[in-house]
Amino acid sequence: MTSTGKIELMAPAGNFESLQAALDNGADSIYFGVEQLNMRARASINFTLKDLSEITRRCKGKNVRTYLTLNTIIYDHDLSLVKTLLDAAKNAGVTAVIAMDQAVIAYARQINMEVHISTQINITNIETVKFYSLFADTMVMSRELSLRQVKKICDQIKKEEIKGPSGNLVEVEVFGHGALCMAVSGKCYLSLHSYNSSANRGACKQNCRKKYTVTDQETGFEIELDNEYMMSPKDLCTLDFLDQVIDTGVKVLKVEGRGRSPEYVATVIKTYREAIDAYYDDTYTKEKVVTWMGELEKVYNRGFWSGYYLGQKLGEWSDGSGSQATQKKVYVGKGVHYFPKAGIAEFKIEAYDIMLGDKLLVTGPTTGAKEFHLTGIMVNDKNSENAKKGDSCTIPLDFRIRLSDKLYKIVPS
Amino acid sequence: MVIVTLQRNKCIGCNYCVEMASLQFQMSKKDGKSVLLNSIEKKGFFTLKSHDNSIFEDCLQAQKACPVKIITVKQV
Repeated sequence: MTSTGKIELMAPAGNFESLQAALDNGADSIYFGVEQLNMRARASINFTLKDLSEITRRCKGKNVRTYLTLNTIIYDHDLSLVKTLLDAAKNAGVTAVIAMDQAVIAYARQINMEVHISTQINITNIETVKFYSLFADTMVMSRELSLRQVKKICDQIKKEEIKGPSGNLVEVEVFGHGALCMAVSGKCYLSLHSYNSSANRGACKQNCRKKYTVTDQETGFEIELDNEYMMSPKDLCTLDFLDQVIDTGVKVLKVEGRGRSPEYVATVIKTYREAIDAYYDDTYTKEKVVTWMGELEKVYNRGFWSGYYLGQKLGEWSDGSGSQATQKKVYVGKGVHYFPKAGIAEFKIEAYDIMLGDKLLVTGPTTGAKEFHLTGIMVNDKNSENAKKGDSCTIPLDFRIRLSDKLYKIVPS
Repeated sequence: MVIVTLQRNKCIGCNYCVEMASLQFQMSKKDGKSVLLNSIEKKGFFTLKSHDNSIFEDCLQAQKACPVKIITVKQV
């Protein structure tokens, strides 16, 4: 819960680019994984222990809460690492740990660290909330609950005054936006069966996202399916009934996507930030929802549905293996220098021509993800309408760029 | 000769290599990652060179089982 009393908007941070994008676009909290004991263990870029202090430094500067995900299954050989990670997180000032395994919960409580119960525990009733209130202040509800069921739990927490270790009422967290699994998240053996790659260890290979056919082995007869993506649900989106979600009394709205791009984080968090603020300002309207949905459709999505929140029904399946985003980014070049007094950025164009009016995106570990329209270009100190591959060009920009930054052009998919 | 390599920093600690080749692999209790016994490290790659050809089959099973594909086994 935020100090303003609004629902807390929780953003994914898979790397520093996404972290900065979340901070710049109005997240109240971020969640991230360190080393291999989180549900994105396979990710090519993962934070390490050395990054902890920089993560908390940036977040504290913006008064944003930080949650360490340590929510895989834990083997005996992991126990020492669990303690190392939790000790380091506590020392770095991480707000809380998101946990599933009792070993993690127990040690976090031992060192007096705030615990949030992960969705993997799959809480679906008030008695389970009571049980975990002995250890945790925030609990993620199971994704299969309807909003009516979530509201009942939130009401009961207040009525029965169920408090966590902090002495405050237990807070309920729900997923608001992003990918859904066909199985209980992180409780799936499909990837393990086919690739030895356990989702429960954060190593899901996402074979549920592929196309499948059903064939009679005896006759070779193939059953015709309306949709071969029979195990790949569309992405959850609650933006068009966000008022109903907030009215249940949940305190935290989580956006999924630690494996997604910084511009995805920027767009989704910015959109939900506007929608949440509009709800509290009494300006949340159908017209605005249409505009916001258009924004969400621009970035990675498998199509949207409401999950099970509006009543349990057969899942809605995506009709493709990849994204249905209405726009994509193409690599243009890299940052070279920024002249702060003049507000001018220099880029080296390496791959793709740009011209006046183009929509561009800059991403970087410190810059985050920033979009802008190209209003001026200079090549070789002369005004130009475009810059071509091989050119060094300067562009008026109202934000600092760095050597580590990449420049992209946003084009329709 | 059998040459086994392990790109250790990418290990996610699943324990399969130990299940398949327990005489060559162990899980570290310090950082939860796999350890290739008697290996020499160079730039993050741990290499074991053994004249005991009998280890080849078990190590090959470990290579096949590894979900993040960080084990290679060669017989030269």
